[in-house]
Amino acid sequence: MYFTVVAVNVGIFVLLALSLNIIIGYAGQSAMGHAAFFGIGAYTSALMTSTMGISFWISLPVALIVTGIIGAVLGLISIRLKDDFLAITTIGINFVVVAIFQYSEIFGASLGMTVSKPLFFGVKMTAPMYLTLIFILIVLTCLFINKMNKSWFGLALASIRNDEMAASSLGIDVNKYKVLAFTLGTAIAGLTGAVYAHFMTFIYSSDFAFIVSISIISMVVVGGIGTIKGAIFGAVLLGVAPELFRFLADYRMIVYGGLLVLMMRFQPQGLLGDNSFIMRNISKIFANIKKQKGGGQNAGNA
Amino acid sequence: MQEMLRVEKLKMHFGGLKAIDGLDLVVHDKETLGIIGPNGAGKTTLFNCICGVYKPTDGKIFLKDEEVQGKEPFEMARKGVARTFQISKPLRDISILDNVVAALGINEYTGFGSILKKSHKKEIVDKALEIIERTGLKEFKDKKAREVSLGYLRRLEIARALAINPLLIMLDEPCAGLSNFAINEVIDLVMQLKSEGKTIVLIEHNLPISMKVCDRLAVLNFGQKIAEGTPKEIQANPQVIEAYLGEEDDDHVNA
Repeated sequence: MYFTVVAVNVGIFVLLALSLNIIIGYAGQSAMGHAAFFGIGAYTSALMTSTMGISFWISLPVALIVTGIIGAVLGLISIRLKDDFLAITTIGINFVVVAIFQYSEIFGASLGMTVSKPLFFGVKMTAPMYLTLIFILIVLTCLFINKMNKSWFGLALASIRNDEMAASSLGIDVNKYKVLAFTLGTAIAGLTGAVYAHFMTFIYSSDFAFIVSISIISMVVVGGIGTIKGAIFGAVLLGVAPELFRFLADYRMIVYGGLLVLMMRFQPQGLLGDNSFIMRNISKIFANIKKQKGGGQNAGNA
Repeated sequence: MQEMLRVEKLKMHFGGLKAIDGLDLVVHDKETLGIIGPNGAGKTTLFNCICGVYKPTDGKIFLKDEEVQGKEPFEMARKGVARTFQISKPLRDISILDNVVAALGINEYTGFGSILKKSHKKEIVDKALEIIERTGLKEFKDKKAREVSLGYLRRLEIARALAINPLLIMLDEPCAGLSNFAINEVIDLVMQLKSEGKTIVLIEHNLPISMKVCDRLAVLNFGQKIAEGTPKEIQANPQVIEAYLGEEDDDHVNA
């Protein structure tokens, strides 16, 4: 049971890291308030199921769409800003959204919201069922991102990440694609929020505070920005680590912060990022194996 | 001769600075027009106005009779105005091949729908390889753009410009900062485009180069056109000598 709960939590972080990676990794936009959209999805679905009595399974796509729309609107407002200005604006959005959760009666204000356990064909969802659901969502998200990366959409984001002026000289509507990337990333975060709310059965504004955004960013950066494997690895590593090092729990943010500083200094591309220390060595090992195999065959021929 | 581009009474003011101040210019179909002038004359600003990076303060720009001033850069690219940048702007973390493929996708960037369309289809990759071959980048095609030298990045910019199948190619100092050897290679490439009947506007500081490559030259100074004509006419123009050639001579004396 304990293992399943940890695994669900890690899975939620994996989804958040994958979704943030679309915005900061593929499109290269410094979005620092991802937890806000995680929260918007969580509260949207909680309102639907627990206040209005609508099915959890309907609330999932609705949370995705509502969060995506809010993400698109906020994206439209802030996306013309660049780098540090965008970072500061998105941090601001995070604080505003959390304040709205904290002070609105409809969201339970400072008491938080109790979320009713959803049913799956008449049975109350258990932790293993959540784990399965999250696993399916992760697989779907990975497939989607993989498809995106092989499409013109992915190439447009890569162009924008590299150089906005060059991208526009190739016919790419830079602002439009930035908003679209923002919409996709925030929508998936909203979907994740809906799952989270129903798994926890209680949500409170501080679950979606700026510090959570920092955790998600740390995962993407530590794992390897702009790659699927990096985002997953970072989320698993930083999601499991606090469980392994329980005695450090109070200092988690110091560890995250310290890690971020170290990564930026020594491995800005992340542990599994393109041309990182680990990936270089892995490809070396593979090259050696190939060589040996090839060598062996040649020897056999001779 | 048919007109490809016409600039009428163009003004681009930045506060009190009149970077371009009442400029008229015509580029004919299939010609190579050189824009020369001292630093700060407004050459790159002119490019940026034509390509939509800047919205002109006043004046008009026509591309084949269509009024285009104030359009966005991506719209100008789709209309067939290709450009290279003075400070080259490769897509650094993707391969040379992907850089060219990205340019070939010019009409595919439609929004969410473009998620469903695969970018590296065989015919697209073949087309990209053909352009890469033409621009002499074949051996670097799988290298990331950040791994190749400036001379090859300049060619990559030209390759990308070709990939959007342009009506007009605007080259912003393609030879700046290159070795003599690399300069000759870029010139050969530009001459090749010229012989294929492409319409080219070239900003080039180096006078011998622009004299060699261009059919006509327009000389800018303080945001205005002070002379226009064949390279021979320009060479003999006293105003040009004073504003441009004279200045260079002084530099040589001082040096």
